[in-house]
Amino acid sequence: MKQEDSEILKGIGKETGFKVPENYFAEFNKRMMDSLPPIEIKEETKKVETPSMWVRVRPYLYAAATFAGIWCMMTVFNNMNGTSSRQMSELAAGVEKQNKDAQIDETTTDGGEVLNYQDSVMMSNDKAEELPSQAK
Amino acid sequence: MAGRSNYDEALIVEQLHHQDTVQAAFGKVIEHYSSQLYWHIRRMVIDHDDANDVLQNTFIKAWTSINNFRGDAKLSTWLYKIAINESITFINKQKALNHISIDDDDSFLVNQLESDEYFDGDEAQLKLQKAIASLPEKQRLVFNMRYYDEMKYEDMSEVLGTSVGALKASYHHALKKIESFFEEND
Repeated sequence: MKQEDSEILKGIGKETGFKVPENYFAEFNKRMMDSLPPIEIKEETKKVETPSMWVRVRPYLYAAATFAGIWCMMTVFNNMNGTSSRQMSELAAGVEKQNKDAQIDETTTDGGEVLNYQDSVMMSNDKAEELPSQAK
Repeated sequence: MAGRSNYDEALIVEQLHHQDTVQAAFGKVIEHYSSQLYWHIRRMVIDHDDANDVLQNTFIKAWTSINNFRGDAKLSTWLYKIAINESITFINKQKALNHISIDDDDSFLVNQLESDEYFDGDEAQLKLQKAIASLPEKQRLVFNMRYYDEMKYEDMSEVLGTSVGALKASYHHALKKIESFFEEND
């Protein structure tokens, strides 16, 4: 601070030459206290924050949205179930028809085909037994 | 004055917020701050009777708006702000009464200083007061707070709402103008 002051100020110092009447401050303080008007202090109470409309409505909106979501999902699943059961019924009906057709084929096959098959298997077994002796 | 042992600012601020303790606490505030606020106001308005009125208005304003003081800022900062506002309001009213433009400096305040019964300064002190009164209002405030009150720039910044850099610049300009005033009036 002293470095920033000029030579002029250093020469004059900090005395201003201003004076006050004798006992001025003591009398002022007393006078001041006597002249204070009555006031009411608003004692600090815990602030009861009034929630905004959005904050108050939000839980209900969330609940409503959840129920709406569940309802939508149930509707979609119901629709899907309706469609799939119909499709399943159709599929089941198709499979049943094929089974019936297969049964019809078995019953209509004659015994000659089966014998021919048995003969061919027996012949291949005979050939397999001959092969080791040829190797010797 | 500032070092009175029974002055506990934190306790007083707490007491200022309760109906049953506010009056006694404010009495301690007056006792503690009346002198330093008076001298600050006196250096602004120059005349003792005017300084007395402005100081009284300052405390009345502080008292009636005590509910607005939440203790976020220092009590001294709050009181200084009120005192400065009251001083500037007073000076502007005086300018209006004397048909002086609000943009003119406050030199008119020191015209009667020589004949003031509560001034016994020498010629150099009188000249310094005239030099200070010739400064723009903000520079007057900054000069008085820095030179006479020896207030830190950081505290001044809180009171005046101006950056420390700008306050340093204001003080520097004020010094230069005071030097120029002395050179011109030698």
